[in-house]
Amino acid sequence: MMLRRLKRKKKTSSQPFIMDMFVWVFLVVAALFILAPFVFMFTASAMPANDIMKMPYRWIPKGFYWQNFWQGIRGNDGSFIYLRNILNSLIVASTVTATTVILSALTGFGLAKYHFKGRYFVFMMILATMMIPFEVIMIPLYLIVTKLGFQNSYPGLITPFLVSAFGIFLMRQYYVTFPDEILDAARIDGASELMIFSKIILPNSVPAIATLAVLTFKSQWDNLLWPLLVAQSEEMKTIPLYIVRFAEEKHTDEGAMMAVAAIASIPILILFFKLSKYFIGGAAVFSVRKG
Amino acid sequence: MGLQLIPVFFIGEERDMTRRIFSPDIEHKKARWGWVFIFPSLVFFSLFNFYPIFNALYTSLFRKKLLSLKPPEFIGFANYIYLFKSPDFWNSIRATVVFTIGTFIPMVVFSLIFAVFIISRKRFKKFFQMAYYSPAVLSSVVVAAIWLLMFDPRGLSNQFVNFILNTPGVDHKWLANSTMVQISTMLVYFWKYVGYFTIIFLVGLASIPQSIHEAAKMDGVNAWTGFWYITLPLLKPTTILVSIMSMLQCLKTFSTQYLFTQGGAPMGPINVITLNLYNTAIRDHRIGLASAMSIILFCIMLFFTWLQFKGSRSDKVSY
Repeated sequence: MMLRRLKRKKKTSSQPFIMDMFVWVFLVVAALFILAPFVFMFTASAMPANDIMKMPYRWIPKGFYWQNFWQGIRGNDGSFIYLRNILNSLIVASTVTATTVILSALTGFGLAKYHFKGRYFVFMMILATMMIPFEVIMIPLYLIVTKLGFQNSYPGLITPFLVSAFGIFLMRQYYVTFPDEILDAARIDGASELMIFSKIILPNSVPAIATLAVLTFKSQWDNLLWPLLVAQSEEMKTIPLYIVRFAEEKHTDEGAMMAVAAIASIPILILFFKLSKYFIGGAAVFSVRKG
Repeated sequence: MGLQLIPVFFIGEERDMTRRIFSPDIEHKKARWGWVFIFPSLVFFSLFNFYPIFNALYTSLFRKKLLSLKPPEFIGFANYIYLFKSPDFWNSIRATVVFTIGTFIPMVVFSLIFAVFIISRKRFKKFFQMAYYSPAVLSSVVVAAIWLLMFDPRGLSNQFVNFILNTPGVDHKWLANSTMVQISTMLVYFWKYVGYFTIIFLVGLASIPQSIHEAAKMDGVNAWTGFWYITLPLLKPTTILVSIMSMLQCLKTFSTQYLFTQGGAPMGPINVITLNLYNTAIRDHRIGLASAMSIILFCIMLFFTWLQFKGSRSDKVSY
């Protein structure tokens, strides 16, 4: 039985075998292309500048040229401002992540589980704001933030991102399927609505919260346009702004540049490897349509 | 800022299952709690989303300077007329359209190919997913910095192309030539986001029931025909979703172009609308004009979304 099946498989698989090999080769070559810039960044960060621009490029550094990292952190002016900028990025990204997760969960829960008048209208309005690109409202936002006196400060960097429409959408879709019976049982036992939210809803939505948290943190870590408008002093700049400035300076050499880039990427790459499930789940949110 | 733009049309509506098990009084109290829960976000959205969009519309009708003490002067549609007469703005529209078309079409095609190939594998699925997705995780400034070095005359891109074409020592002027610099920005963007859309296609592919493929195999349909006549039509909703998302993403590209011009690339060929918008507002302080630009950008994005959505009215697929 087993043998016959094997035989049959062999007979039919001579042409698919070539196809199969082609697909493997294609996928591997594409993966090499996609990963090459990563390898370039990390190897170049460990090489002196004149090695980086040598033809042909040597993919394995001769040793670890740590001066690049020292130069990158110290800065060309020796001010060590990069450390402060990293701290700023961490503060902004974590604050935004925390508020986005809490407010999105609250709002998503409110929209999913409370049947008040106009809730569908509110949900649609919030969804409609997802259609507004940030670039379109950034100038009015800038004027608002200036009026509030938040220019060049943490509140200025943070306020426009306190909660996201995408987050509310994600959390609401997650909570809609949550069984009402559990909530009603808790109510009969005398739990207040806030208690239900904090003791039942939050602990039961870890996957959705993790997805939202990871995506929010990533998008703030990446944010260039808004800090470019708001953060004027070197002390208030975030990592992307430091990289832009560092790239412009005359004395910057290629090795230090890549070291700075590597330092900026390592936290987010670690996050990616540890929590890849949630990163990929976040990308997949849109293709799953329920209803 | 990855995923802030998702067409509203794609969200399915659940049936409203109102159940009342408590007395009307308690139900009323519950409804009040609903408002309490959504109130903070509602305040936020009114202040930081609804108000700004109307404010942008309003400001676009004024001659307004940043940091100027003079009261803004109402000039009607003069900002829009100025923009439509300005060759600089038309160049921005051209740059944006060229960039968008040149990036999103290869992106959709290749992410589809990647997804179809990956899902056909029995092993290493996870590895390929992670590898292709990983550039999307990097911040766009880091990405631009890496590619800026790779596009150096002595950099990897020249070495690679010369190796393939067997033309040693030729400089392809990745950042200097006006055509090449456009291709370079497209390449960077393609590299960063192709994996992201591959994931979306993978989920779309996985939702096609296996039984359909098995039935086709029984009927003697080969892989190619099966893909063309079965998989692709069933994948239409995902394809439309991916094309809209990638197109909107491309229309608001900023970081790559910004860092490339800061790094010494010529501004003209890659002066996309967002870059022009930023320079008009922040460098030239012309807030009214910049607002008009942002409104035009918004209209372009709405138009393309509507266009693609219209072409997909009959996208209900039943398996």
